[in-house]
Amino acid sequence: MSRVDITKRFAPIQREAARRAEEKKTDGIPTISIVMSTCGLASGAAETKQAFEEALLHKSIEARIVAVGCLGHCYAEPLVVIDHPTSGFPPICYHQVSAARAKVLVGSYLEKGDPVFKYILGATEENDLIPAVMDFPRFNLEQRLVMEQCGRIDPDDIYQYVAEGGYGGLVKALGSDPEEVIATVETSGLRGRGGAGFPAGRKWRLARDNNSEGVIVICNADEGDPGAYMDRTILESNPHQLLEGLAICAYAIGANQAHVYVRAEYPLAVKTIQQAIKISEKLSLLGSSILGTSFNLEVIVFQGSGAFVCGEETALIHSIEGKRGMPQHRPPYPVETGLWGRPTVVNNVKTLSCVPSIITRGAEWFRSIGTEKSPGTAIFSVVGNVNHPGLVEIAMGTSLRTLIFEVCGGIPKKKSFKAVQIGGPSGGCLPESFLDTPIDFDSLTEAGAMMGSGGMVVMDENSCMVDVSRYFLDFTQNESCGKCTFCRIGTRHLLTILDRITKGEGSEKDLGLLETLSEDIKSGSLCGLGKTAPNPVLTSLKYFLEEYEAHVREKRCPALKCRALTAFYIDLEKCARGCDVCVGCCPVEAIFTTTGRKKAIDQEVCVKCGECMVVCPPEYDAVEKVSPPELAPIIERSPEEKKQSK
Amino acid sequence: MINLIVDDKKIRVEEGKSVLQACLENSIFIPNMCFIKTREHPHASCRLCFVEIDGLDRPVTSCTEKVRGGLVVQTATPSVRRLQRMAFKLLMSAHHCHPKVCPVKDGCQLIRTAKHLEIGLNPRPLERLDRDVEEEVDLTFFTYYPFRCVLCGKCIYVCRQKNGHNPLTFAKRGFDTVIGFFARGDPADVPCHHCGACANVCPTGALVLKAEYTKAATANP
Amino acid sequence: MTTPELDGEERAMVEEIAVMLPHFEKSRGNLIPILQSIQEKHAYLSGAAMEMVAEHLSISASEVYGVATFYNQFRFHPPGKHQFKVCLGTACHVAGGDIILENFERKLGIKDGETTPDREYSIERVACVGCCALAPVAVIDDTVEGHIQPSRVEGIFVQFQVEREREEREKAERESGE
Repeated sequence: MSRVDITKRFAPIQREAARRAEEKKTDGIPTISIVMSTCGLASGAAETKQAFEEALLHKSIEARIVAVGCLGHCYAEPLVVIDHPTSGFPPICYHQVSAARAKVLVGSYLEKGDPVFKYILGATEENDLIPAVMDFPRFNLEQRLVMEQCGRIDPDDIYQYVAEGGYGGLVKALGSDPEEVIATVETSGLRGRGGAGFPAGRKWRLARDNNSEGVIVICNADEGDPGAYMDRTILESNPHQLLEGLAICAYAIGANQAHVYVRAEYPLAVKTIQQAIKISEKLSLLGSSILGTSFNLEVIVFQGSGAFVCGEETALIHSIEGKRGMPQHRPPYPVETGLWGRPTVVNNVKTLSCVPSIITRGAEWFRSIGTEKSPGTAIFSVVGNVNHPGLVEIAMGTSLRTLIFEVCGGIPKKKSFKAVQIGGPSGGCLPESFLDTPIDFDSLTEAGAMMGSGGMVVMDENSCMVDVSRYFLDFTQNESCGKCTFCRIGTRHLLTILDRITKGEGSEKDLGLLETLSEDIKSGSLCGLGKTAPNPVLTSLKYFLEEYEAHVREKRCPALKCRALTAFYIDLEKCARGCDVCVGCCPVEAIFTTTGRKKAIDQEVCVKCGECMVVCPPEYDAVEKVSPPELAPIIERSPEEKKQSK
Repeated sequence: MINLIVDDKKIRVEEGKSVLQACLENSIFIPNMCFIKTREHPHASCRLCFVEIDGLDRPVTSCTEKVRGGLVVQTATPSVRRLQRMAFKLLMSAHHCHPKVCPVKDGCQLIRTAKHLEIGLNPRPLERLDRDVEEEVDLTFFTYYPFRCVLCGKCIYVCRQKNGHNPLTFAKRGFDTVIGFFARGDPADVPCHHCGACANVCPTGALVLKAEYTKAATANP
Repeated sequence: MTTPELDGEERAMVEEIAVMLPHFEKSRGNLIPILQSIQEKHAYLSGAAMEMVAEHLSISASEVYGVATFYNQFRFHPPGKHQFKVCLGTACHVAGGDIILENFERKLGIKDGETTPDREYSIERVACVGCCALAPVAVIDDTVEGHIQPSRVEGIFVQFQVEREREEREKAERESGE
């Protein structure tokens, strides 16, 4: 089929999309877009939506309510964008829109035309009345390529995606030779976004060259890093972009079967992608003879059952085959023999989501973003001690400092920056001296961290590096598949040693053993999980050795984090008579009244949850935390009272 | 036929073999637990068969390397030994079995490996790890001793090869992984002919056919 | 070993599974989807259920058991009526998620992965629910709750307690009315 015919088949879909977009623009009806992805819902977006609906009904105002995906600004959820064309204001983005705020907005803005300035985050386009969000560092330093439409369009409405140029890449690809498509992806320099950064174009070519009995493409959306959620966001917010990328890849490598491997823990993502597939099939953008061509593609959603190791491609394939998700030695690589023994390309969600715009806008355009060896953008989920946590997409080559201090607003509560953990359980902790490191595949690996899944945890002075390493090792040893000796038993030893150290039972010898064992696990393990599992330990030993030493030598946790090495006490000078807040909040009744109706903590009973410190009114600020625990003055509790508390 | 050099010795083997097999056939011992020569994709889980190959920057498992002409292999360099000894100590830290009560005695691959690596059976400086498993598990026809098992998976493989299906399996995950045999109800309904192949292939005596079934196994090999 | 007696609950489960299985093609690749739909309907996988799946796919029951025990998703005991999932992802850990988990455990007298004897509550730790910016997070039944404080745990129980008492009262009223 010629390029003209394919374009002809696509034209009615485009026309319908344009018609709908035009109607929305011209009918004068306000549009209320509510962010309804998982984190929006967790912040109460469903209640917000209900409040809007009730208020509109109550006031008999006509407005369109649209559930959109995630904008990535998790700190400001629930987010709502109101486009009120007859008000004279541009579309406005509101933050933290509770049900109560929703009612106010309907009453003031939609009814009376007052946009309620105090709830505004910013306007979504440049104008003279309201500062635009694009002028904030969070927005103007970001460069959105994969997440461009996330949070702007309704993920369930394919026409909104088409109206933004969606499926144009597929149309263009179908009109050209598969060889040409692969060449474009190769020239673009696109590297796999799953962590290791293997060139996507080269993987495609290998699979195409192996095409003997039907190649398969798998989209890896088994986002297992316990601190990353961008793949989920993309699936929930713009599923069609991924499907388009998947279809282009399938066409290029000659596959008729595609699998999307999504974690079952992401029910909304599963539902959204399934729905998107159905709609695309109906419009002949997927399924048999796509847009009238001889190209067929069946897309199957497979729900991963919860195993971090299944992010490793051979384990993922075993899992789809209905087996235990245990990795196997490579080679053979999946591009040689993969799913059901057939050549298989496994690409990450972000990799495939980059593809449509590479095809539409060209390889040169993609190369112009980012660095020479890592073109394009990187997406991070920045969490932990930052002012504006959330999903951030920046050009490769941006420095960590810009990302943390400008885009994400720096460290809250005037605390100081201590470390940033990049790449989740496979990555490492970098100290302040690395803040000017550019973010790209090679620089991060060189520093001892890795791009990995894109999880980024920013830590302030109150985070303990030993505790963080212990946390990650607890995770990886729990998720080890148990196949090879180093990972199965070695990570358990690392955890036991770290456990000991955080409890103040570690010895000097343990530090040496940690290092030797970590190095051996790194070089001896069978798969990527084991090979990278010691990274959190190795980097923290390298950059924060003095913290380990304090735990081992002085039985002290400098960050006051490890519970066995800290204690709370109440400063009797500061404690107010008769204020009982701490007594009421203590879950174990460890706080008692001592002389002068002041309060004291029974160290034997205290579980060190820290709740008393949180609730103690700031004007007293009487609860102190110390390490080692012996520093806390001991105040005896009378035996009668002791009995009572039990 | 392919020529390669192992520890300064020239050997000749057929094409398609792994370096490990080539060495074993030429009386060059490399420690191993999970290797079965007929297996198409090596399990590669025990991590004992490391060697150094000229041109590669780090030790590799010899079961996963195919022989190539002109290969220069070393089986006892310091970095090979370091990994092998650590892997062995790791296994021993989760393996609680006294040589005196070892059911396979001289046949135990662990003892042979310790001798070859010139180290003791003690995992020091690693401590012995506790495992949340029973000392003995009743698997209908077998007794399974999790503390002896090194999870090489040979039993599962030979059973599938011989009987076409898998009454034996890995169960659970990670450090808790064990060999499982899911059978409720009448042993007669269980798809196992207690042929004993699994127990025979076990390198550490972790899987033992119960006495009442051993006769059947020898009568019907 | 004899076949364990099936109680009423398990028998009903077996019957429903027998109806459901023929809808799945007998291919090995369907093993995990089948197990998932059984658990979705019945909240856990019983021994009998795994045997039925094995028979349907012509594989050994051991193999089904081996696969099911590999993945975090599958449960082998019925969970409580109310489920508390405490997120222990990285952000939640940094924000003190382990303290939240401990509070739940202390309150109910069970450990994570266990169910109270009255089968009313169960606690699970989950790796990450992907709401990191709201850390610490817990999932109460199906609702994600962010920025959870240790003292909130008490509040949640009071809420359930009140609800339960109301239900019982209403039930009693209905019964006395009839």
